[in-house]
Amino acid sequence: MNTLRAEITSVKVHGNLSLVELHLEGTTLKSIVIETPATASYLKKGNTINVLFKETEVIIGKGKGQPISLRNILDCTITNIEKGVLLSKLSLKFKGHSIASIITTNAVEHLDLKKGEQITAMIKTNEIMLSD
Amino acid sequence: MIRFSLHKKLKASTGDMQLDVECHIDQGKLVTLFGESGAGKTSILRMLAGLLMPEKGTIEVNNSVWLDTQKGINLKPQQRKTGYVFQDYALFPNMTVKENLEYALDKNQDIGIVKELIEIIELTDLQDRKPETLSGGQKQRIALARALVRQPQILMLDEPLSALDRAMRTKLQDYILHVHRKYNLTTILVSHEMSEIFKLSDEILVLENGTITRQGTPMDIFTNRHISGKFQFTGEILHIEKEDIIYIISVLIGNNLVKVVADQSEVQQFSIGEKVLVASKAFNPMIEKINH
Amino acid sequence: MVWGPIILTFKLALIVTFLLLLISIPLAYWLAFSRTRVKPVFETLVSMPLVLPPTVIGFYLLIAFSPAYPLGNFLNEVLGLQMVFTFEGLVMASVIYSLPFMVHPIQAGFRNLPASLTEASYVLGKSKTTTLFKVLLPNIKPSLLTGIVLAFAHTIGEFGVVLMIGGSIPNETKVASIAIYEEVEALNYGQANYYSLFLFIVTFVILLMVYLVNGGYLRRIWK
Repeated sequence: MNTLRAEITSVKVHGNLSLVELHLEGTTLKSIVIETPATASYLKKGNTINVLFKETEVIIGKGKGQPISLRNILDCTITNIEKGVLLSKLSLKFKGHSIASIITTNAVEHLDLKKGEQITAMIKTNEIMLSD
Repeated sequence: MIRFSLHKKLKASTGDMQLDVECHIDQGKLVTLFGESGAGKTSILRMLAGLLMPEKGTIEVNNSVWLDTQKGINLKPQQRKTGYVFQDYALFPNMTVKENLEYALDKNQDIGIVKELIEIIELTDLQDRKPETLSGGQKQRIALARALVRQPQILMLDEPLSALDRAMRTKLQDYILHVHRKYNLTTILVSHEMSEIFKLSDEILVLENGTITRQGTPMDIFTNRHISGKFQFTGEILHIEKEDIIYIISVLIGNNLVKVVADQSEVQQFSIGEKVLVASKAFNPMIEKINH
Repeated sequence: MVWGPIILTFKLALIVTFLLLLISIPLAYWLAFSRTRVKPVFETLVSMPLVLPPTVIGFYLLIAFSPAYPLGNFLNEVLGLQMVFTFEGLVMASVIYSLPFMVHPIQAGFRNLPASLTEASYVLGKSKTTTLFKVLLPNIKPSLLTGIVLAFAHTIGEFGVVLMIGGSIPNETKVASIAIYEEVEALNYGQANYYSLFLFIVTFVILLMVYLVNGGYLRRIWK
């Protein structure tokens, strides 16, 4: 589980859903949750909370090209690649924070990923959990 | 609404202990008394039932006073409308299943309730048997049904499922939940079993050294943080296995075995048999109709 | 063989056992569940006949029942009961003498029942009396049977107390054990043997029944 700590900059509520915007090192993160400030006290602007997402949900992109629906885009450097038979684990550095991504070994080879390379790590808005 | 304040010096195997509890429980709630053995859980149930006398205290149930030591009020167990399921079931060996339930009938009470309860606990076929010929789970169901005959205002269960195996336990939990809702009972349960507590309780009272140290929902009490994932369960780790560069953790949740993928850094903090919270966002699970 | 003493013996045993049952159930209940401090005193008193020579009990009962003393006087004047050298006196003495044999098994039976049975009955709204008759007594049947049989057999076998308090009045106080003694004194060994053999066989059969029942051999029949 990847854990980053970020500050809430806005909470947009609609019914039982909230779209939470967070700020970390000049990057904006977004998460959609089935909670509202009424049901989860930590959903408060200015609060610094935990942003959680699973390694297997981190998508890796190389270069910046076409527009994309993913709202969480982190510019990272690959610090290590651990290759398995089917799956590989990438250790990434995002502005001093360590995160990890698990993708298929096939994808690692196809994208020709190497240690030290600059990539973008992306997470879907609905894959990010929040906790206090 | 039940409100009580109970004070008594208890003699435990570890020495004397002062029990000082004050608490209120809302009507219709299922509340678990949680704490180590000897923390005074059973004593609280016994005092509520009138089987044990506190040195000082008050008990008020739905605006009627059952106990007020200062005013000298103390209703006898017979006068308090409680249902009590004893740890050893306490079924009367000389009576059949049906007779055990009928014995509990109040004067002029309609006998129909006995039939209804026997049907709920699914023991119609065994109703003319003596308790000694039945299994632990069946005895427990009879004890539960018998406690409900008088339609009590409080149902108390003293570790009702501790002697049963896992499959039987799950089934009995369902019976307890069913009758709790059907008869709109206020239920107090003594339990150690984490999965049971999560499944059954609205609220937990944590009892430590004779005092209630915390009161809250199971989630409040047992998870140290609030997490936004709506797909949350607690379970027990049965197995951890390395597959390629990831780990697969098998977790027993209730009666179901689920598998969760984890990273090495996470696996290090887990051991087999540990209780864990499994959470996912509500966006991920698929939901599908089961075809019969 | 003259049947008088034998019939008298069984009449005495039957009446004594019946009275003992009535007395012992409440007494044993109280001894089993009461928490008063004076309980050990009563437990001791109930047990005294087990260890005291029967003649001691007989002697004191003889004194107590004598119209010259308050108890005997009261029984005589108010109730019109002549206790010394009468069948009534014999019954009274036997009840006291056999008391532990009835009380102890019943008391043990009560004590061995799980407390939760009584508590469950109370929580179900039932009074102490209902609980006693519907829950407790039906579940200590073996203890009741033991008490009944032991008290019966013990009353048949008593000698010292009977001799002291009853003397040997035919068809009034001359029970089998006394008759045997007298036949032996008169060197009528044949008669003594008839009585003795009869008592031997009867007590053997009675005790055998207890062991069979409480050992579970006849459980199916009894339950």
